[in-house]
Amino acid sequence: MRYGMVIDLKRCIGCYGCQIACKAENATPPGILLARLFKKEFGTYPNVRRISLPLLCMNCKDPACKAVCPTGASEQRADGIVTVDKEKCVGCRYCMMACPYGARYYHAKEREYFPGQGLTPYEKVGYQRHPTGVVEKCDFCLERLGRGLQPACVANCMAKARYFGDLDDPNSEVSKLIRDKAGYQLHPELGTDPSVFYLPP
Amino acid sequence: MSTDIELIVNFYGYIRDVVAEDKIHLSIPSSSTMEDMFKLLCDKYGNRFRERVLTSQGDLQGTVAISIDNKVIDSLTTRLGDEIKENKEVNIMVIPMAAGGSQKSSVKEDTWIPTVCGLCYSHCGILVHRVDGVVVKIEGNPECPNSMGRICARGLSGIMLLYDPSRLNFPMKRTNPQKGIGIDPGWVQITWDEALQIMTDKLTKLRQEDPRKLTVCTSVICNDQGTMLRLFGAAFGSPNNFYSSGGSHCGNAEHLFGGLLHAAWSKQPDFEYCNYLLNFGVPAGTGAYYGVPGMAQRLSDARARGMKHVVIDPMHNMAAEKGDEWIPIKPGTDGALAMALLNVLLNELNIYDSDYLKHHTNAPYLITEDGYYLRDKQTKKPMVWDPIDARTKTYDDPTTKDFALTGEFTEDGLSGKTAFSLLREQVKKYSPEFASRITGIPTDTIRRIAREFGTAARIGSTIVLDGKELPCRPVAVLYFKGAQGHKNATLTSMAIELLAEIVGASNVPGGILGKNARSLGYPGGNDKLSYCPGEGPDGLLRTGTWLSTVSPYPPLEAKKPVLYSLQDLFPTCAVSSPLTPHALLEPEKFKMPYKLEVLMTVGGNFLMTKADPNMIAKAFRGLFIVSFRLYLDETAELCDLVLPDASYLERLSTHVDGFNTNTAVGEWGYRIRQPVVKPLFQRRDSQEVLLELAKKLGIEKVLFKVMKASAGLMTPYTNDISNDYKSFEEILDKRYKSLFGDEHGLEWFKEHGVLKWPKKVEEVYWKPFVKARAPIYFEFFKRVGEQIKKITEENGIEEIDTSSFQPLPDWKPCLSHQEKRSEYDLYATYFRVPIQSFSSTYNNPWLDEASKIDPYVYNFSINSETARRKGIKDGDWIELESAATGNKIKGKAKLTEGIHPEVVGMANCGGHWAKGLPLASQPGKGACFEWLMPLSLESMDMPVLNQDLCVKVKVSKA
Repeated sequence: MRYGMVIDLKRCIGCYGCQIACKAENATPPGILLARLFKKEFGTYPNVRRISLPLLCMNCKDPACKAVCPTGASEQRADGIVTVDKEKCVGCRYCMMACPYGARYYHAKEREYFPGQGLTPYEKVGYQRHPTGVVEKCDFCLERLGRGLQPACVANCMAKARYFGDLDDPNSEVSKLIRDKAGYQLHPELGTDPSVFYLPP
Repeated sequence: MSTDIELIVNFYGYIRDVVAEDKIHLSIPSSSTMEDMFKLLCDKYGNRFRERVLTSQGDLQGTVAISIDNKVIDSLTTRLGDEIKENKEVNIMVIPMAAGGSQKSSVKEDTWIPTVCGLCYSHCGILVHRVDGVVVKIEGNPECPNSMGRICARGLSGIMLLYDPSRLNFPMKRTNPQKGIGIDPGWVQITWDEALQIMTDKLTKLRQEDPRKLTVCTSVICNDQGTMLRLFGAAFGSPNNFYSSGGSHCGNAEHLFGGLLHAAWSKQPDFEYCNYLLNFGVPAGTGAYYGVPGMAQRLSDARARGMKHVVIDPMHNMAAEKGDEWIPIKPGTDGALAMALLNVLLNELNIYDSDYLKHHTNAPYLITEDGYYLRDKQTKKPMVWDPIDARTKTYDDPTTKDFALTGEFTEDGLSGKTAFSLLREQVKKYSPEFASRITGIPTDTIRRIAREFGTAARIGSTIVLDGKELPCRPVAVLYFKGAQGHKNATLTSMAIELLAEIVGASNVPGGILGKNARSLGYPGGNDKLSYCPGEGPDGLLRTGTWLSTVSPYPPLEAKKPVLYSLQDLFPTCAVSSPLTPHALLEPEKFKMPYKLEVLMTVGGNFLMTKADPNMIAKAFRGLFIVSFRLYLDETAELCDLVLPDASYLERLSTHVDGFNTNTAVGEWGYRIRQPVVKPLFQRRDSQEVLLELAKKLGIEKVLFKVMKASAGLMTPYTNDISNDYKSFEEILDKRYKSLFGDEHGLEWFKEHGVLKWPKKVEEVYWKPFVKARAPIYFEFFKRVGEQIKKITEENGIEEIDTSSFQPLPDWKPCLSHQEKRSEYDLYATYFRVPIQSFSSTYNNPWLDEASKIDPYVYNFSINSETARRKGIKDGDWIELESAATGNKIKGKAKLTEGIHPEVVGMANCGGHWAKGLPLASQPGKGACFEWLMPLSLESMDMPVLNQDLCVKVKVSKA
């Protein structure tokens, strides 16, 4: 069992739905974007190509973050999902330096979305899940998985560009997509074996 | 002394990441309580476990469910010994809530409420999660055919609007009589009673003088509330109203031609069957345009299936990103390209659908030399030529054996050319070479696109759907604000529209579909929801239903203006006229018989969404302005009374469904918008306030009457007019029961949110089933143009340019194309983005976070080579000075290869400045394009009253 995600760049419309769906699901504080979008252009006028590249924690099979964690806070579950134990995390941020994908965020201090105007009722409830002084990362919406749901960014993707499933199962939708549509990992040469695959634009 | 009992503890749900095992054995004294057991477990698993299951006070988290052999244990004081006589299992399940475990000892409430999003005009069905009174999550409602369970970034971020501490929470009265941009109104907080008294006094007096002195302004985003305000205005006795963005941000020409050719307000390519989409820059399926989520899924499905998506756009933007080909074009020249494509198809390749043109358009109508129909002497019906009988016949003569499509025919001394012949002649001068010089697109590209489009149309092919054989034309053409937002809006739209018409790809499988042009009604219900396009005068198509009070066809006769929108003088504007500020500034120029005194508004931010804000402020500052607002925004600066409105999450509404908000294919879905929380602070829904105000003014019975008509109330629910409705809820209840039967009242909708049923083939692809001809020759434009000329002459109104009231398409340059001063060398244009909705969302911090990351939302996009020549580097602050207004706007330069070298592009409606929008009003949050746009008739397309958005600018480092 190895949870993984496939993002079809041909379908992705770069709408930031994943970024905000993640925020809405996890009530992440300002500046913490466990899912995000990156836009890039190629070519010269008028032969131009623009792509939107959704990013999130790759939940690598060989996570560099876990290897450097001095306290054992960064853990990997049997299903491959990499988690941070906020009790054990001391906020040293070695993991952030080790992560080649910039997928981790340090929650230094509690901040509000409307600076100087206090926390909204929503933030008061939501930020209880986000202690300060620790590192945050995407865990494929572990709590939703526990309820039999897909990660929020997958469930909400308007263009149906994201798929989620078991990479170890050759018959799963994700495995088939990777096989049939030449799925690839970002920077496989770094050797962390990401569990997020992309289909070509 | 108690003995130990052996427990098996099972862990389920959102705890398995904390505990290593799913099952453990625990030995514990039989006198122990649940609390003791949890103490042991906390010792074993640490603080993470404790936080997950217990509150800081040591109570059970609301998310934790404990059971012993299916018996639920809800108290920590339960003695284990009482429950466990032998070795039994304790099950601990942690069910996380969407926004995290509540720290309260128990969650008193945890509910999902179906309602309708209100952050753009798509009106998607949503589910709102409320826990203990706090909204913790918004999701798409899987039952809604529009959202299909998925919503856009804006919709997800609605919580940040609901709880924005900057929201207007109390009624406020202006104390500073001076009005203008940047002038502090000197707000003082008042009570609702005082606010209602001020309105009652003001409006009572006004109504006695002349009710026409009231006008109302509404916005498409809150069309539910807008409908009520317009009905209030009508009940008051005023015919005046306008939209905050009509003619500037609305597609006035696109909507009109939607009505004329597709019997619909908006359109959707038939993504299921379309193989070739020629898209003039519309972000349909890429985050903006109508029906955002459903369209996104359908576009992606179509592209995965192999549909070719060709995007013509000055900027390589959202649409081009999902395009198979990007064709950059000079702004305002889309019409010239469309004319050339028509020319290649009609005169070079001879690709057109003769059968469709003969039977479903006015192509065979004979046109006399003066440009009008050749009419039968007796019946006055337009004539056609029957080549088999070799004589003229009326267009609807059942003896007609065939229709001549091309040629000139004479009979009894009267001669006429077919409309189709005239169209072919009209487009002839637009050779690809000629159009190439105007548009900047290579001639071979124009020829290739025309050929690809014509071939892909597969003229003559058919498809069987639901047992019915229908024409299949798998090509569609899409255009909207960009292509038509110019001085040549009408003629450009006409040219683009005719591309689909001449190949018969209009409202048939694979083609371009008018959204919800036809409804066969709710199955098993009454026929209130039924409507069908039909045959209007001269056999031409008229709509079955329409959103505005002015029908596209037949146009009303032009009249001496009484309306401040001047829509009576310009009856071919069937959408919303932007001319209220023009008439306010120069009432004598249009011989207005009275002066406006009071403006009531809901939604929108008209000060920054019409044209040069300085001129808008000048036009409106003399009025007494009452406004229902969410924020003390820019428009509030001009108001005398601001009233804290309820957001879409705090109000009950009808008018969030139907004609315009349903998707073209799939299912019909009627929805409800209902409050998910009571309005916070002293916010009140404008609809409720207007009902109360109507009572105070003594006009409630008239208001109920117009509301009943508008809401579609029917017998037995149309109470006698003397029998007042008690509340807004009652009206809605009766509306739903009228439409869907007794079992589907308000309570049903509140619980279920959506009532849906499948669309029929005859509804979606209605054209082959309906006898009515679409115009390819727009004779009535010519007639209306002449009427306007006559009226202005007769009434001493200054001459109005009626040269664009033409029956055939054409291309005419915008004012900006004629700019001679060389320092104004770039065209500024704007576009819509998926993460902001007009001006309304810029204070939303989640969207702000995304907008800051996106390279194109807050910045000015400029071609890298152009920027290099001007010494501008990526990230430099630059200033744009308008050739038309002299106003300047500032922003950071984003150097890109993906934009025409003569263009500066920006997202629309940023650049706020109001103190009441502290986040939006920081520097670098986009720009307000309106500063560049003049308020003048010279920059207006007169037939549909559409602002030109082609503005030449001088660009320099700021």
